[in-house]
Amino acid sequence: MAVGTRVLETVGRARPGRLARAREWWEQEHVFGYSLIVPALALIAGLVAYPFAMAIYFSLSDYWVGSPGSFVGLQNFRDILGNEIFRQTVSNSFVFTIIAVILKAVLGIWLAMLLFRPLRFKRLIRGAVLLPWVIPTALSVLAWRWMFDSLYSVVNWTGIRLGLMNPPGPNWLGMADYAMSAVIAVNVWRGLPFFAIIVLAGLVSIPREYYEAAEVDGASSWGRFRHVTLPLLKPVLAVVILFSTIFTFSDFNIVQVLTAGGPVNTTHLFATFAYQMGLTGGNLGQGAAVSLFLFPLLAAIVFIQLRYIRKE
Amino acid sequence: MSAVIARRSFLKGSAIAVAGASLALERAPAWAQKRELTMLSFNHFVPASDDELRRQADVFSKQAGVTVRVDTIAGPQMFAKRAAEVSSQSGHDVIVTGAADPFLYEQQLVDMGDLVDHLGGRYGGWYPFAKETCHTASGWRAVPWFWVAFVGSYNEVQFKKAGVQAPKTWDDLLKAGKVLKKQGNPVGIPISQCTDANITFWSVLWCAGGKVLEPDGKTPAINSDKAAGVVEWYKELYKDAMEPEVLSWDNASNNRFLLSGKGSWIHNPISPYVAAVEKKMPIADEINHHNSPGGPGGIHSATGVNSLGIWKFSKNIPLAKDFIKFLFEKENYNAFIKGGSAFNQPPLRGFAEHPIWASHPKYAMLPKEAEYVHEQGWPAKPNAAVQLIVVNFVLPNMVAKAIAGMPTKRALAWGEDQIRLALQGKLETKGK
Amino acid sequence: MIVGVRSRGQRIRSSVFGWMNVLPYVFFALFPFYYMIITSLKKDTELYNLKAAPFLIQTGVITDHYWYLFFKTEFLTWMKNSLIISVTATAISLVISILAGYSLARLRFPGVSSFGTAVFITYLVPPTLLFLPLSQVVVWLGISDTIWALIVTYPTFLVPFSTWLLMGYFRTIPKEVEECALVDGASRMQTLTRIVLPMAIPGIVCVILFGFTLTWNEFTYALTFVSQSANKTAVVGVTADLIRGDIYYWGSLMAGAVVASLPIVVIYVWFLDYYVSGLTAGAVKG
Repeated sequence: MAVGTRVLETVGRARPGRLARAREWWEQEHVFGYSLIVPALALIAGLVAYPFAMAIYFSLSDYWVGSPGSFVGLQNFRDILGNEIFRQTVSNSFVFTIIAVILKAVLGIWLAMLLFRPLRFKRLIRGAVLLPWVIPTALSVLAWRWMFDSLYSVVNWTGIRLGLMNPPGPNWLGMADYAMSAVIAVNVWRGLPFFAIIVLAGLVSIPREYYEAAEVDGASSWGRFRHVTLPLLKPVLAVVILFSTIFTFSDFNIVQVLTAGGPVNTTHLFATFAYQMGLTGGNLGQGAAVSLFLFPLLAAIVFIQLRYIRKE
Repeated sequence: MSAVIARRSFLKGSAIAVAGASLALERAPAWAQKRELTMLSFNHFVPASDDELRRQADVFSKQAGVTVRVDTIAGPQMFAKRAAEVSSQSGHDVIVTGAADPFLYEQQLVDMGDLVDHLGGRYGGWYPFAKETCHTASGWRAVPWFWVAFVGSYNEVQFKKAGVQAPKTWDDLLKAGKVLKKQGNPVGIPISQCTDANITFWSVLWCAGGKVLEPDGKTPAINSDKAAGVVEWYKELYKDAMEPEVLSWDNASNNRFLLSGKGSWIHNPISPYVAAVEKKMPIADEINHHNSPGGPGGIHSATGVNSLGIWKFSKNIPLAKDFIKFLFEKENYNAFIKGGSAFNQPPLRGFAEHPIWASHPKYAMLPKEAEYVHEQGWPAKPNAAVQLIVVNFVLPNMVAKAIAGMPTKRALAWGEDQIRLALQGKLETKGK
Repeated sequence: MIVGVRSRGQRIRSSVFGWMNVLPYVFFALFPFYYMIITSLKKDTELYNLKAAPFLIQTGVITDHYWYLFFKTEFLTWMKNSLIISVTATAISLVISILAGYSLARLRFPGVSSFGTAVFITYLVPPTLLFLPLSQVVVWLGISDTIWALIVTYPTFLVPFSTWLLMGYFRTIPKEVEECALVDGASRMQTLTRIVLPMAIPGIVCVILFGFTLTWNEFTYALTFVSQSANKTAVVGVTADLIRGDIYYWGSLMAGAVVASLPIVVIYVWFLDYYVSGLTAGAVKG
């Protein structure tokens, strides 16, 4: 069969023609390589480049929703740095992202390992674990809002009945620390499946022989995890942590629906504060400055991390 | 072989399907041969009000030989939508505006002076707040459409049990609230990042004779003894008449608070009562309303005035004005008030005599509110700075800080600082 | 599982251990969903009754909220729109990212790594205010207020993500397989479609799964680029029609969340089987 195709190919190639020459040109590695990325680059150039350039321009001008503005340099960045709410937003974002990503990573690896074990009702369990990722966020966060409601909170109701909380229970969305915990809990709830599923893929691809060898050497289960699983998962983890950090940093829906940034701005994230400043407040220039503030830093981190991943 | 054929016919089939779909898509603009007028509004609290609006749009469509389409989206989503329509210079013809919109979009909205004069002359004149909210330096940029009063909603049974009267002033409320909380029925004013928290703060501040900005709209005026008194009042109310949950509230929380039978008093539109009647909840019988309380500075109440604007990029400006005129025709506007279960209050004096208020004892006090209301920002115009103060929840957060232990003076200084930040944007627009 | 021979006792112990650990997760994952279902079947009077147990239905199950959702709103139309948009946008993005991912992961040409980084950086662009200028582009393309506005714009955030995910999978496929095919005279395109793609199926399934979810959930573009009710997506339609000022139609909102997610979970679980078994089948190195 292979020989047949090959013969045909040679015949085709022997015939001198424009078509054949075009084909030969197309078969060159760099030509083929470039042409495959053309659609992606066209998409980015056509639909992302202009809006992104505009967003940068917004951040450097005194643009308001209803009136185009003129160039003001870095004035917007100076203004937001002078705003206490913005400084609070920066620290909220870091607290939120760091805690949420660590929780998701640790629990995600643990969950993936559990899902990897032979269990009955595997499909049901996988479905259950995936569910939070599938329910449209805008709606699932509403359910959480209802679960943390000051009057009807099912969490507090249960806690009080079980004697774990003193009535009326924690004021989930009204106290800074509780509110931050609530927002993080919902983020972990929603983001865990993403982590677990990708790590599961990594686990599945680890050859069994490594474990067998480790077991023969008498390694404990912790030892196997530490010396076999973790090192082999590293490349997968690097990518998934990178993605998850970006996802978490730019979270909008959860905070917007659950706390609207409150109480007293203690849960505002970049995205929610940028929206509040730029859209509902109308100050597009400062809103864009808020949302772009960390872009250079993120880009640098990503750049370094990507180089690291490539080397691995 | 057969698989190949099957696959081929499948491909063919799907090609036809694709072609069909694209045909159907292409036909969409073809329907629009008739001129189409579009309007964007927010979903009304009472669905029947939207139905009535759409019915009137249909009647107008037939009369004018055009198609009128009314799209509705959730209220908080209007901000993004307005900004996107201006940014792309395309979208609806008529758009519902509110608060600072006529000022923020001053350069994007058509002048409405002629229409405002016409309607005012015909229907008994506009209430003062109409001019406060829609008249910019360059004239009328929107037509006030309807507004919603924030009144005292209270549980009569609980008030009777506690032996207290419906409050006439905010101090009365504090006194009554102390008794009511002891009885297990606290009162509730949100001190959180939600619109209701803003609205009530402005109302209390005005009644105490305080203000946030001077009438020029450029000078902070929050750091005053009167404002300090208001913050102290809030602190006492929080401690002795409310529960900490008010720090976590959103706009819907106070409705639930009253409807659950726990709360005895809230400052809100009449929506809890309307919802209770609609859902046949027994508590509806216990709820009644009274006018927004007053104070040494008089009776003042903040509100949201909904107005109608027309984008300059619209290709149907005269038609859009005719449509707005049509909505205000006596018969239509009265039907609109009825459809909105007394929610939709008129900005024109001529509509105040609607039977829905006179006939229903629990609504009887509503028309009177028109004398008390102002848009947030008053005595300044609701300019861009006011918008930032409002959306950044500076005022309720200032109170929340004081409640959390910050000395009142410092909390006011913090508020003043935030107000200065809001003022640093470009405030004077060139008009035109 | 790990080593063939094990005593019965050990197996039971291991299974009990597994369950003890999995159950808290399942509870954490499922409880909010359970709560949504309960809320969607409860009478409003019970929902607002402070004395009722919140996670039980004590005064009878009702289907009114579902009825309202299906017949008083255009929910079915919105679901249809969401489905068309998500499937098409995911498919388009999948094709674009397979091509780009393969090229960036497997072919050598000048600038390949900077292209890769450029694609990734796109992903970092904060989306909060991007929709404003993007709405201009949508109008220029003449597709505003149609579902095409979303089909065309969704790939902007799907492609970078999918490309990177696929690059990882393509890298794991042994190079020799491709070289053999090329030596046998297959064209590069044939090598990609007939040899590489079947081996990258787990990655493709992964991209479909995540792409579909992201588009299904997307809110801001769906809100701002489309305003006719007949063209809205499920998420935007439901939140627009069932949250009216300070009145929430809790029952119907939760009914909407349930209906908008259950069928997808079933499909996902089926996909996931394929995904995990595809991975186990080999062809993937550690």
